Amino acid sequence: MPFRELNSIQLDALREISTIGMGHAATALSQILEQRIDLRVPKVSIMALDTVPQQLGGAESLMVGITLQILGDARGNIMLLFPQESACRLLSCLLHREERALVLNELNVSALKEVGNILASAYLSAIGNLLRKTLIPSVPLLAYDMAGAVVDYVLIDLSKGGDLALMIETDFVATDCTDRSIRGHFFMLPDPGTLEVFLSALKGDG
Amino acid sequence: MSERVGIAELRIARAPKVLKAFGLGSCLAITLYDPGSRLGGLVHSLLPQAGRGELPEPPAKYVDVAIGLMVEELVRAGAEAARLQAKIAGGANMFESAYVTLVDSIGMRNVRSARTALAARHIPLAGEDVGGNRGRTVEFHLASGQLLVYCARENRTKTL
Repeated sequence: MPFRELNSIQLDALREISTIGMGHAATALSQILEQRIDLRVPKVSIMALDTVPQQLGGAESLMVGITLQILGDARGNIMLLFPQESACRLLSCLLHREERALVLNELNVSALKEVGNILASAYLSAIGNLLRKTLIPSVPLLAYDMAGAVVDYVLIDLSKGGDLALMIETDFVATDCTDRSIRGHFFMLPDPGTLEVFLSALKGDG
Repeated sequence: MSERVGIAELRIARAPKVLKAFGLGSCLAITLYDPGSRLGGLVHSLLPQAGRGELPEPPAKYVDVAIGLMVEELVRAGAEAARLQAKIAGGANMFESAYVTLVDSIGMRNVRSARTALAARHIPLAGEDVGGNRGRTVEFHLASGQLLVYCARENRTKTL
């Protein structure tokens, strides 16, 4: 289904399933960090592919990106982005030691990927249960670079199907042990064919 | 004076304009320059080539289609096709993983497609900074034909 043809009820439905998925993901993260996590209401936006990096605060800002593919009954990508200071604070919390600058050694990379894995798994299993679909996350991959460079990888998959991206985005804010904020952006970018899987499952004929 | 070239966009300009493309990962920036008329173009492509029977829309999305289109537009604007020189930057593999090394990364396929398309048109490749796993921002100076490649993570700039 072309993204352009989605009506407002369908967009609401996508927002709703994402809210439920993200709620589970945030609970999981909150338990690991032993901190409260605030979630923003998800935004469902359909945008031209080339505006995506701008939406993320500029193509040149340095970010840690963790990406996983969605496998099983639906296809798409999940992308988790942390601005570099937030990634650093997240690591300090996870590893119980003060990380002053972002160093991506094996342990740190593995810890960040694990966060991606936990969030994506909680998110996909909640949505999967709701829709009675099997959704499995792939192995997480990590990159640390300019936002534009990190996201163009997922755009490639999408761009084969058209020039628009449907992005379901949730911002979340956690606080670390010293009350500084950890900001993250969680995106789901379903492949065009996957939308039909979601929408028909929502109607109950999946 | 400086103009941004977004994903899947093609711009041509004349000296002393500066064309910029931000945050290239596996995307490829291709510049063509005619030192005689000081006309040049920059394209920010995403995919190596248009599939068979696929409508290339927008055309600059594909490396091979974009190069042909850029040559046409430059010649129409008054550039001499035989004087054109090319430079390319980008084509990285941002997410290194154990299981993609066997298959060619999309970044390298973009690079190869550009080299082939340029060779087919007898356009010399005057410089390149491609591959690796780092993002790049490029700045194309039409006054000199220089292509500045900036890597934010290493905080270094290279001139092609």
